[in-house]
Amino acid sequence: MSEERKRQATSVVEPTIFELGVPGHPGHALPALDVPRLEPEDVLPDGFVRPAPPALPEVSEPEVVRHFTRLAELNHHVDRAIYPLGSCTMKYNPKINEEMASLPGFTGLHPGFDDADCQGAIALMVELARHLSEISGLAAVSLQPPAGASGELAGMLMAKAWHTDQGNPRSKVVVPDSAHGTNPASLTLAGYEAVETSSGDDGRIDVDAFRKVVDDETAAVMITNPSTLGIFETRIADIIEIAHERGALVYLDGANLNACMGLVRPGDVGFDIMHFNLHKTFSAPHGGGGPGSGPVGVRSGLEPYLPSPLPSYDPGRPEGRRYFMDRDRPRSIGAVHGYHGNFLVMVKAYAYILANGGVGLRKVSEDAVLNANYLKAKLEGLYDASHEGHCQHEFVLSAERQKEQGARALDIAKRLLDHGIHAPTVYFPLIVPEALMIEPTESESRRSLDAFVEAMISIAGEIEEDPEALAGAPERTPVGRLDESRAARELDVVWEDE
Amino acid sequence: MPYLPHTDADRAEMLREIGVSSFEDLLESIPTDLRMTGELDIPGPFSEEEIGRHLGKLAAGNRGANCLLSFAGGGIYDHHVPAVVRTITSMPQFYTAYTPYQAEVSQGTLQSIYEFQTMIARLTGLDVANASLYDGASATAEAALMGLDVTRGARVLVPATVSPHVKRVLRTYLASSAADLREVPTRDGRIDVAALSGEISENDVVIVQHPNALGLLESVNDVGELAERAGALLVASVDPLSLAVLRPPADYGAAIAVGEGQCLGSAPSYGGPLLGFLAAERRHIRRMPGRIIGATVDHDGRRGYVMTLQTREQHIRRARATSNICTNQGLVALAAAVYMSLLGRNGFRETAVHVMSKAHYAADAITQHTGLSLAFPGPFFREFVVEMPRPASVIRSELSRDGICPGVDCGTYDPALERCLLVSVTERHTREDVDTLASALGAAAAEGGSA
Repeated sequence: MSEERKRQATSVVEPTIFELGVPGHPGHALPALDVPRLEPEDVLPDGFVRPAPPALPEVSEPEVVRHFTRLAELNHHVDRAIYPLGSCTMKYNPKINEEMASLPGFTGLHPGFDDADCQGAIALMVELARHLSEISGLAAVSLQPPAGASGELAGMLMAKAWHTDQGNPRSKVVVPDSAHGTNPASLTLAGYEAVETSSGDDGRIDVDAFRKVVDDETAAVMITNPSTLGIFETRIADIIEIAHERGALVYLDGANLNACMGLVRPGDVGFDIMHFNLHKTFSAPHGGGGPGSGPVGVRSGLEPYLPSPLPSYDPGRPEGRRYFMDRDRPRSIGAVHGYHGNFLVMVKAYAYILANGGVGLRKVSEDAVLNANYLKAKLEGLYDASHEGHCQHEFVLSAERQKEQGARALDIAKRLLDHGIHAPTVYFPLIVPEALMIEPTESESRRSLDAFVEAMISIAGEIEEDPEALAGAPERTPVGRLDESRAARELDVVWEDE
Repeated sequence: MPYLPHTDADRAEMLREIGVSSFEDLLESIPTDLRMTGELDIPGPFSEEEIGRHLGKLAAGNRGANCLLSFAGGGIYDHHVPAVVRTITSMPQFYTAYTPYQAEVSQGTLQSIYEFQTMIARLTGLDVANASLYDGASATAEAALMGLDVTRGARVLVPATVSPHVKRVLRTYLASSAADLREVPTRDGRIDVAALSGEISENDVVIVQHPNALGLLESVNDVGELAERAGALLVASVDPLSLAVLRPPADYGAAIAVGEGQCLGSAPSYGGPLLGFLAAERRHIRRMPGRIIGATVDHDGRRGYVMTLQTREQHIRRARATSNICTNQGLVALAAAVYMSLLGRNGFRETAVHVMSKAHYAADAITQHTGLSLAFPGPFFREFVVEMPRPASVIRSELSRDGICPGVDCGTYDPALERCLLVSVTERHTREDVDTLASALGAAAAEGGSA
């Protein structure tokens, strides 16, 4: 422990907001009450009135601003530097999108207004859905799911509704062992049993093994393509054919669409259902955990099952009412969100798609693939790549070599933070030991990629010299390595006043 | 293409360094017959100027947002959002950050969400809260599943007075479970406690929305007692602002409280992004869905924050996770934390008192001067139902011409309520606004009488 660190021990970087206030501090002023004032006791029955208001902090406006500004300074963010989280796609967030999503004409809209009063918003949704259809090659898209995992649930429920209409709901869904954890969680929520299929030596789905697990009880197969190893399932056509022959639907986890736009369309390949992550592929910022948005697309024949209501256009309606939310959808799986999903995220994605156009979106995917291969080529001499050959938009390294030398993937991740760089995703996919999953995205310059490479080279060298040194990493961050097992063991999830 | 930093020279050199002669070589694993031929049929690229003009037109095409004097509520409310909330949530350090997977460089997000959890716990009177869910509707569905997991029961009792927006999502989530979703009868717009008493049994999950979809306060004390006596688990769906003046769910025996947090510092935004919150008794924390932030120490003993109890979550537990939720509503939770910090204990109560006073003034103004009456006799907090002589949808269309949205059409909730309007007031309405509504409704009612 450094001397400075010792001095700071048991201190806090920023006190909680509950420690900052003083009773009576005003942080906000209301308009003068221009009607007779009523106290809760005047209108609420006995036994309903709260004896004392909830103990929220009492802090003045300048103090609130400073508190949250100081907190902001403790965050890494993509406007500052590369954020190469594999499977998470953290690309630059264009500022015009924010401006568009804060137009009062959008933010002020109440979801209970008549469609006639929301024509612009519904038109935007109809156009966005059309663009997503074009990008995916699928017939129809519902924008309602508020996140990718919600889109997965909607997709599984649609598969179930479709099979039920065919006379047999079936009971199982097949997922590769490399899949995102949301896939098995979503299919379970939809009432299915998860059946795992293994990857072959080349990192791709083992087609022979796959053939054996798909049977007449298989309702669907959930595939991520490019896979979470960042490689294209070369035999995807065979996989889809095998599934279809047994009557199963094929679902695409669209998390990796950033690699595909204008290059390959899921619908053309034969996928039946997919979800999009607007916050990944279409640059809506992630907000430190969300909001996201997870539209679902389907091939023709499955449209009746899409979540309801569905933004729609009918030129036969009177002017000013041509865009409408179609609520008359008897075969729909129902709603997965209270209203229309994360509308403002849709605005951002729509602005992004228009800024790029069809030509630009293809270029986006090309550069995403180029950047990932550039990093892979520069790093695979020092770290073990999960598989040979070129990758798509992301790739996985294994720190097995470094582990033998005495430093784990986690140590490497923490040391990267000292270089001012966010760490890649670690320990995922589960099938790669000591995995470091790297996705630079297309918005990183060569200079930024080279800086990442430099840091990774420096860390590999440091491990060769003194792997123990990494146990102290990170050393140049606001706090040192945090004790996660203590957090789970001695649960402290709400602040208790002294 | 302003978002792409490379020049063509960069690209060529990078390809050389990779060791390929053309970009196409990087696509070798995509069979050629699967590749897209031709271009995506999407217009653009467009400049900022052009995008601004086009989206500006679409935004202006929403008459609802710009021109209507609106009394629409029903779960989504147009409160004043203090400038500070937007200032903080517009900081790229917050909005361009990802999920805090590397805690040491994510303390800002983590601590602010820990503070959010604390505030939700204090509002609801419960011990612990999670780091947000998508919206109030999916939060209620998650709470029902969590409740079933706790009780090992197989029935969810839902009164007809739970918001239809919530019920739709609840139905979707429960469709695939073995659980039986059973409707609890209501009387005069509130839960029929006697009927519930006959229905409720051990291990049921009972949902109560308080105030309910019609703005009325439910007999939560009786419902809580019934649930406790029967050995059922109570889930309360609550309006967070109401908790400034109403007894918290923990007081009437709710083991789980959920709700929609949009009114805490977010604009209506056509219904999204919203903010689902979920709080529970400490003993149920391991069954809670979604992310939870916990405090710990770093290796020098300094206080810091991490995502905790992750072994419940899908990325570790996969098919056995408590829920499939992954991406949540972090930024909206931050907005809520900033909002509640600014208002503070007294400001929050004052806002609730202000809204409650105006809502009651509005109800009086409408009933005393127009001959109209409230559809239900029960006590209310911030919104109430007016019974019109003609369908609410027709009244809405007529008033829309004068630039007024008089409220939510309850006919969209239940055809039997087609003449009912749910009127909602916030601190943004002036007395004059309310008087304008009252006379417009009065005129509409009179017109209907003579027709």
